[in-house]
Amino acid sequence: MSLQFLLTIAFAGAFLTYFSGKISSKIRNFLAVFISLLLVAIVAFFYNKHIENTLYLKFFDIPLALRLNALSWFFAITITVVGSLSVIFSLSYIKGRERTDFYYLMMMLVNASMLGIVLSGDFVSFYIFWEIMSWSAFLLISYNRGPAIAAGMKYIIMSIIGSIAMLMGMLSLYTNYGTLSFSEIASLITSASSGYVLFILILFCIAFGIKNAVLPFHTWLPDAHSEAPSPFSAILSGILIKIGTYGFILIFYVIVGLRIFRGLFGFRYILLILGAITILVPSFIAMLQDDAKRLLAWSSIGQVGYIILGITFGTSLSITSGIFHFFNHAAFKALLFLSVGAVEYRTRTRDLNSLGGLIKKMPITFIGALVGTCGLIGVPLTNGFVSKWLLYKTLILKPAPFLAFVSLIGTWAAIFYSYKLIHNIFLGQLPEKYNNLEKEPFSMQLPIIILSGTIILFGIFPGIPLKVINTIGTSFGFESLNITIWGVSAETGILNTINIFFTVLIAGIISWMLFRAGRRSIPVSQEDSYAAGAYIPKEKYHYTVKFYNPLYRMIIPYLRDVIDEFYYWIANSVKKFCNGVRKIYTGDVGNYVLYIIFFLALLIFIQLRWRLW
Amino acid sequence: MVNPILLIAVPLGLAFAVPLFGFISKRIEKYIPLVGMLFNLVISLLLISRVLENPIIVSIGGWKPPFCINLVAGPVSILFSLIIALVGLLVSIYALEYIKEGATEKYHMLYLLLLTGATGVVLTGDIFNLFVFFEILCISSYALVAYIGDKAGIESAVKYLIQGAIGSSLLLIGVGLLYGLFGTLNMADIARNISSSAGKSIIPMSVFVPFVLLITGLGVEAAIFPLNAWLPDAHSSAPSSISAILSGLAIEVGVYAVARVIFTIFGVESIFLFLCLLGVLTLLIGEMSAFSQNNIKRMLAYSSIGQIGLIVFALGIGTSYGVAGGLFQVVSHSLAKALLFLAAGYMIYRTGSMDISSFEGIGKKMPLTSLAFTIGAFSLVGLPPFVGFPSKFLIVRAALAKGEILFTVLIAFVLLGTVIEGAYFFRVVQVLYFKQGKTNSGKQEAPIAALVPIIVLTVLIVVMGMYPKLITNILSSAASEFLNRVDYIKGVLG
Repeated sequence: MSLQFLLTIAFAGAFLTYFSGKISSKIRNFLAVFISLLLVAIVAFFYNKHIENTLYLKFFDIPLALRLNALSWFFAITITVVGSLSVIFSLSYIKGRERTDFYYLMMMLVNASMLGIVLSGDFVSFYIFWEIMSWSAFLLISYNRGPAIAAGMKYIIMSIIGSIAMLMGMLSLYTNYGTLSFSEIASLITSASSGYVLFILILFCIAFGIKNAVLPFHTWLPDAHSEAPSPFSAILSGILIKIGTYGFILIFYVIVGLRIFRGLFGFRYILLILGAITILVPSFIAMLQDDAKRLLAWSSIGQVGYIILGITFGTSLSITSGIFHFFNHAAFKALLFLSVGAVEYRTRTRDLNSLGGLIKKMPITFIGALVGTCGLIGVPLTNGFVSKWLLYKTLILKPAPFLAFVSLIGTWAAIFYSYKLIHNIFLGQLPEKYNNLEKEPFSMQLPIIILSGTIILFGIFPGIPLKVINTIGTSFGFESLNITIWGVSAETGILNTINIFFTVLIAGIISWMLFRAGRRSIPVSQEDSYAAGAYIPKEKYHYTVKFYNPLYRMIIPYLRDVIDEFYYWIANSVKKFCNGVRKIYTGDVGNYVLYIIFFLALLIFIQLRWRLW
Repeated sequence: MVNPILLIAVPLGLAFAVPLFGFISKRIEKYIPLVGMLFNLVISLLLISRVLENPIIVSIGGWKPPFCINLVAGPVSILFSLIIALVGLLVSIYALEYIKEGATEKYHMLYLLLLTGATGVVLTGDIFNLFVFFEILCISSYALVAYIGDKAGIESAVKYLIQGAIGSSLLLIGVGLLYGLFGTLNMADIARNISSSAGKSIIPMSVFVPFVLLITGLGVEAAIFPLNAWLPDAHSSAPSSISAILSGLAIEVGVYAVARVIFTIFGVESIFLFLCLLGVLTLLIGEMSAFSQNNIKRMLAYSSIGQIGLIVFALGIGTSYGVAGGLFQVVSHSLAKALLFLAAGYMIYRTGSMDISSFEGIGKKMPLTSLAFTIGAFSLVGLPPFVGFPSKFLIVRAALAKGEILFTVLIAFVLLGTVIEGAYFFRVVQVLYFKQGKTNSGKQEAPIAALVPIIVLTVLIVVMGMYPKLITNILSSAASEFLNRVDYIKGVLG
């Protein structure tokens, strides 16, 4: 089985699904799920295989190649799994909406093009798939109408700017080295001057930074993630922005190479600082959000910061943590978006101030959200703990106290906003209008359960993914880590989840026994405990509103999104300028004739004066 | 053995036959342009393989060049005549349904004349002959812009006429001066005289003045800034089928003529940089003016200015990649812009308004047309896998291959123009699909006669975008025809 075959299935499957939708929606749903799962199976089949540069087409005279190695396999499996879970989730989420065929087409096109990106063996294929991903994502982000239209616009504009930078970078490489194949450029670039390497790195970092939402290129993300349909938000946040991470890893360690990259201290330093800011500011902004999906979107930016720190720091432990955190974030952020999506599907709102008490109505969603937030915070026995642990270890052992401190603060903020999310949706008082709320349908439960299971499974047995990640690291030239099924043991740091597992288990049993031993609790009504028996009009009483208000008052003045305002200022100035430029065409034919005469006179004058031509 | 002269003679004859057929039956006349263009398409396709080996020189009247009017069917000319025939054919199919009211026989006659003029311009090897065909092209387009007969149409046609007439007179003066200087009208012969008389470095003023006159005169039709002020009015008030031809073909033919003058006749390499700057300026001004347009056809018209800027920039790079990229951009722009105008034509027809905001919800009413519009827009912005991507790819590659900081900066500006272009095209796409329409009145797809050209163009855009090798052969030999003027002179004069 070849890679071309895989991509053909992915792309043809998308269109097949679309056209089958014209016949019957049942066939379409079946095909969408079947093809997504088929892709998972095929990618799983490629496990531990290496396929070098299979040529498949020519673009002008540039050969296009596909290749598979540990890095691309790891990304490919994440993409297909998260993608297929989102498709399954969509089955009921999107039912009854307009243009469902189109929705599935774009969803599967995004997944297929992301698969194409990670399997590309040269920059042209990479760029082509990258752009297909960009415009299909644009169409999906705008799908929800209303504010989604502005969000889609913001996304595509920034995305085009990124791809322009990439196009220039890649064509500059082409003119210098006469090839666009990753492996050939990688061997040729070793002789390049460090200035040129830096130029290339900056161009690509703009492209990947925009997709990956690294500060200061993050401004498209909060709007796009919150306005997109929820299953697609899961893909956006879970994997699409991580394609930027893939790009970073590709350009740092595959193209430029570990040896040169380690030498670029200044560049890495700046990127690390950017990573730190990307953790710090967005994590706090996330706390302020009252829209569940917006909160998660800001949290995604914050988590991206951890990944950036991991992959830029440049030790074998840090790269492991970076790649593992990519995977973990894909799992728990997809899970959180799907959980919020399930809530949105039932309640038709995602406003944290008007929800509450859904734990009894949607228990599975609650468990999903709980596991997801635990992963996000990095609670032991979830996968997020492992990757964050590895990162802290790196930062503390190779003394980088500032970065370590920032990462910890970021986690601290994560606890705050995660608790706000869980509490405001699932705990507290159930608004009366949701008294007859139904449970989430099975097609929503299934992805939530699978993702929760994954998070806990890889939290207890981190060795399974870490083994793959370790081969990726060694292929870049990092020294190999000693991976066991329970974790990592190296001179630089030991991680053993089995100890943690038993500690938590024993602590749990002890506290449960203590709890049992104590007096049983007596349930009292809310009026009793909160208002001392006085009557409270129920609809006015909702104590999740303005969560953390005193804290807000303290930090709000420092958390304006200045960058976003700056971009808006640029956009408005451009708009004004464009309107000014348009005045050149006055509508008066006399002026137009003058233009022609002036042009003629100008040319003759130049020639008379300077004899240029 | 097919003679390239048929490419001009047959449509010219058919054009004047249209009113005669009109006497017999009103129904036949509208098929005449279709037949003419189909014929041209077949002939052009037949000629390609021969032309790629050797340009075909046809002398009229039996004299040898430079003493006769001659046609030079080189790769460039065949490439252009192929595009003209293809787009002309598709638009004439579109017009079968679209043009129903008014003086239809005049429309069809003028339409065919316009295309004959365009084909003549790209095929001729004689500069006065070029002027004549150019006038045929321009005059028929003046008339066609006013075809609808409303106030806006007539006003913009008159404006177009005034500016076009000035351009033509400058052109004529230039031709006259050249004739006075060298005593010949054959382009190859003029070129030989210029290269032998002028020193390598600087053109003498006596040659420079006719050069500037030609550039300015042709530049009006080619829509180079600041000579392009007629374009937004004319393209937006013409019937959509004519807008498609004007934007997709006529201005490209103008660019061809400018390029022919600069590359072949005068061979002034020192002006390339100026051409690049002019291209970037045209591009930026076109895109910026299009940015906040609410009238769809004006937006498309301004976008054409931007695209012309890109083509001029690419030609000005002056390397074989650059020229090939510019010619590829001509192809991709013709296809995409024709498609956009055709698709927009029926959207306007269905909604009764050219306002972009009135297209809300059209995506549901006219799914195929909207899809085609979207693909055309994506292609113009240069997104893969559509034809705009390989052409833009070539241009960027050519600019960076120059290896000069200036060109890197210029191409960055060009690409920023792309961002603006993306912004306004994506806005329209969003309006088509993601805004709720006010009236919900089922499907109202365009008629079959309109859908056929729209679908053919869409398919061409996708196929050529995925497989650009289809035309790389002809592009590279066309680029070398432009860049090797000595070969051109030798080829014609022997």
